Amino acid sequence: MRLFQNLTLLGLAVGLLLSPAMGQWIDYPTAGVPRKADGTPDLNAACPRTADGKPNLSGVWIMEPDRDITPNFPGCEPTTEEFTNIGFVLKAGLPYQPWAAELVKTRRAEQRLHDPLSHCLPIGPVRLHTWSTPRKVIQTPGLLVMLNELNASYRQIFTDGRPLPVDPNPSWNGYSTGKWEGDTLVVETSGFRDGLWLDSTGNPLTGAAKLTERFHRINFGRMEIEITVEDPKAYTKPWTIKLNHILKLDTDLLDFVCLENEKDASHLTVK
Amino acid sequence: MRAAGIWFFALCTTRISAQWLSYPTPGVPRTPDGKPNLSAPAPKGRDGKPDLSGIWIVPTGKYLENLGADGVEIPMTPWAAKLFAERQENNARDRPSGRCLPHSVTDFDAHFQPKKFIQAPGVLVLLFESYHSYRQIFTDGRPLPQRRDPAWFGYSVGKWVGDTLVADTAGVNEETWLDDAGHPHSADLHIVERFRRRDFGHMEVRVTIDDPKAYTKPWTVTIPWEYLPDTELLDWVCENNKDTQHMVGK
Repeated sequence: MRLFQNLTLLGLAVGLLLSPAMGQWIDYPTAGVPRKADGTPDLNAACPRTADGKPNLSGVWIMEPDRDITPNFPGCEPTTEEFTNIGFVLKAGLPYQPWAAELVKTRRAEQRLHDPLSHCLPIGPVRLHTWSTPRKVIQTPGLLVMLNELNASYRQIFTDGRPLPVDPNPSWNGYSTGKWEGDTLVVETSGFRDGLWLDSTGNPLTGAAKLTERFHRINFGRMEIEITVEDPKAYTKPWTIKLNHILKLDTDLLDFVCLENEKDASHLTVK
Repeated sequence: MRAAGIWFFALCTTRISAQWLSYPTPGVPRTPDGKPNLSAPAPKGRDGKPDLSGIWIVPTGKYLENLGADGVEIPMTPWAAKLFAERQENNARDRPSGRCLPHSVTDFDAHFQPKKFIQAPGVLVLLFESYHSYRQIFTDGRPLPQRRDPAWFGYSVGKWVGDTLVADTAGVNEETWLDDAGHPHSADLHIVERFRRRDFGHMEVRVTIDDPKAYTKPWTVTIPWEYLPDTELLDWVCENNKDTQHMVGK
């Protein structure tokens, strides 16, 4: 089957088919949603704020889809270009170091054989922003937690003023601290392990990387996430992209444990 | 030897060195010499309820190994007794966590690696260091869902009864085990957890298992949690697993 000869598409399909077609608590109303006169949610209302006056980023979010793949994959949810290529909007493409350009070629040729996602391993903060299933932000004093539907995993962003660790053990999520600049939460992350993929194409992130994310909830229903990647080992200069996220109402994260009944990895092959 | 094997596997992955290990946890009461005062009163949230937030650890692995470690009677039905005996004879080889699947509700309650409670308005989140997984307990008054597709952590709602948070859980995926010994459960499993923070440094977690298909009557174990100040959860991903293929059993 042609589908199975293209693992990028296979991975896409496998991933998106697991998205919440039906859900528990899917009808349970989200609390505190501003409404229009006719009772429908007013997603253009002002961004909610916490007791300290800062924007409250809490909620269930997905990236705003810009690509409808349902004609080719009925039943799947629409996705985004950045899911496949994180540098999609960059006219000149990503500024690869020569070895990184070669690596991407190899990874393309191998059809995601060694993609961590294909093996139920974590996918890191950048790729989680473009992944099609929702994540939930819970903002508490001193700490912002992101819960991912994908593989029931989480990420912590410390906002209690602590510095980044100096020489951390490399980790999948890195180590993240955030501080407010006006109404934007600026999150800095370092301490990644080598070998992360930023997208399905296999654009790399190395242990030398520093990631800056600027979270700006522009109104009740929309949040912009500007991402700057400084990874001199893989890229000749820093690059910046922006992702648009939208709020999902009246739902919650569903069960998604990647290794449960996992039968795909052993069939991954290069054509 | 199964027990030794599991412990070796587990302990090798725990904290050798840690980031932010010495970063002081804000809000921890301290004695004049600067040490955390773990017998100070439990903190309260803005709503006057105890705040369960913090990093907690079970000081022993015995409850993960077997929820009945303290000798509590576990009254298994013939179906459960047969399945439990099979798992024991098979050296618990098919334990989900042996295949990098996360633990579930009761075995994470019993797990000896750190877990972090985050008490936010309307929801309590438990982050687990091991398997890098989490679980939500909704405290916004919603009922348990009527239709319950099996979920790895089931569906949990909690409410305060005095100073105790009582969490009800149903809909737990039958793939999961109650503990590493292999105590089984059916789709009818109903778990009630009672979290009581006795003082700043100690939480009593009473777990009641009610599953008429597997047990002839409900049974309860009490697991002590201890507060772990001035540290953080570390990166723990079940990767590069080379053990599964070497597990032996019948």
